[in-house]
Amino acid sequence: MVLVAVLLFAASRVAQYRTARAQERGEAIPNAMNGKQAPDFALETLDGSKLKLADLRGKVIVLNFWATWCTPCKVEMPWLIDLQKQYGSRGVQIVGIAEDDSGKEKIAAFAREMQVNYPILLDEGDVADKYGNIENLPTTFYISRNGMIVESASGIAGKPDIDAAIQKALGAGVGEVKTAGAVSKERQ
Amino acid sequence: MKTGWIALACLLLLLPVSAQESLGTKDYVKLLSVSPVSLGSGKSGTVSLSFRIVPGFHINSNKPKAEYLIPTTLKLSPPTDISLAKITYPAGQEETFPFAPDEKMSVYAGDFVLTAKVLAIGSVHPGTYRVHGELRYQACDKSACYPPRSLPLNIDIRVQRAAHRRGYR
Repeated sequence: MVLVAVLLFAASRVAQYRTARAQERGEAIPNAMNGKQAPDFALETLDGSKLKLADLRGKVIVLNFWATWCTPCKVEMPWLIDLQKQYGSRGVQIVGIAEDDSGKEKIAAFAREMQVNYPILLDEGDVADKYGNIENLPTTFYISRNGMIVESASGIAGKPDIDAAIQKALGAGVGEVKTAGAVSKERQ
Repeated sequence: MKTGWIALACLLLLLPVSAQESLGTKDYVKLLSVSPVSLGSGKSGTVSLSFRIVPGFHINSNKPKAEYLIPTTLKLSPPTDISLAKITYPAGQEETFPFAPDEKMSVYAGDFVLTAKVLAIGSVHPGTYRVHGELRYQACDKSACYPPRSLPLNIDIRVQRAAHRRGYR
C-alpha cells in the first residue's frame, strides 16, 4: 500500500518535471480539460446582467480568460474582435472572462478602449479554478456546440491558431450534432 | 524486488522540478540578500535589497510604459522609531517580447537591487528594529502573464549607542 502511494507520488513528480521542462522549452502543454464537458457557471457581465454558460449551448464558445494587466491578452483582443465579426453569424460566441481585481469600472473602461464586441464576465477566481486552476493568462478554451472542450491554449496564440481552433470547434459541433440526435433535439 | 521499487521511487522523487516548480503557486522573484545596516540615533543609512527573478520570467519595472501595467513596488512598514525616507528603484530594461514585438516594455529580468533610505529618530533606544515589508510585482514569460504577487520580507536595522556610531549618514 505504501509502495503504491510512493509510486503514485513519484509519477506525479515526474509529470510535474516534464511539464516544467516543456514550459521552459516553450512547448504547448496539453490541457487536462480537453475532451471534457465545459463546467457550467454564471457570472456578472459588465452591464450588470448574469450570463450562464449553459444559456449559450448550441453555439461554439471561445472562452478567453484574461486580465487588464496582461499584455499578451491585450495583443489577442483585436484578433478576437475580428474573429467574432467573422464567425458570429456561424454561431460562434467569444466570451471574455476577466481575472482581474482592478474593479468593474477599470475593466469596463479597458474593454471600451479596446472596442470589445463580445461579452466580458467578471470572475473572482472561482471559474478559473473550475477550468483547471488557471493562473497563466491568456488561457482560451474552445467549446463545441454540445458543450465539449475540444481545444485549449495556454498563453498567447497567433490569430491563425485561434482561427484554426474555432474551425475545429465548429467542425466538432457539426459532427456531434449529426450523430447525437438526442442532444440536437434538446436544443430545438 | 520490493526494495528495488522503493529505491527507484526514491530516485524519481529526487528529480528536480526545475525553476518553474508548481507553476501558479510559486514566487517568481526571490530575495537574495539584505545588506546589513546599523545606524546611530538621529542618523540615516541605506539598505540594499537584492532580488533574483526566476530565469525565463520578467516583471514590470517601477515605471512601466502603460497605465494598465502593474508596477513593481516595495512597501515597508517601519516601527515608530525608524522612518523611511526614500525607496530607489533601478531603471527598467527596455525590451520587446514575442507577444508584442512592436512594443517596448520597461522590465526587470535577472537580478535587480532596490535601495531604501532609513532614519533612526533622535530618541530611539539602541537595539535591533525589524521593518516588515513586501515586494509587489507581476510576472510574465514570453507568452503569458501571471497574477500579481507579494513577496514578504524583513529588514533588521541595528541602532547603536551614540558613542559607537559608525559612518552611516
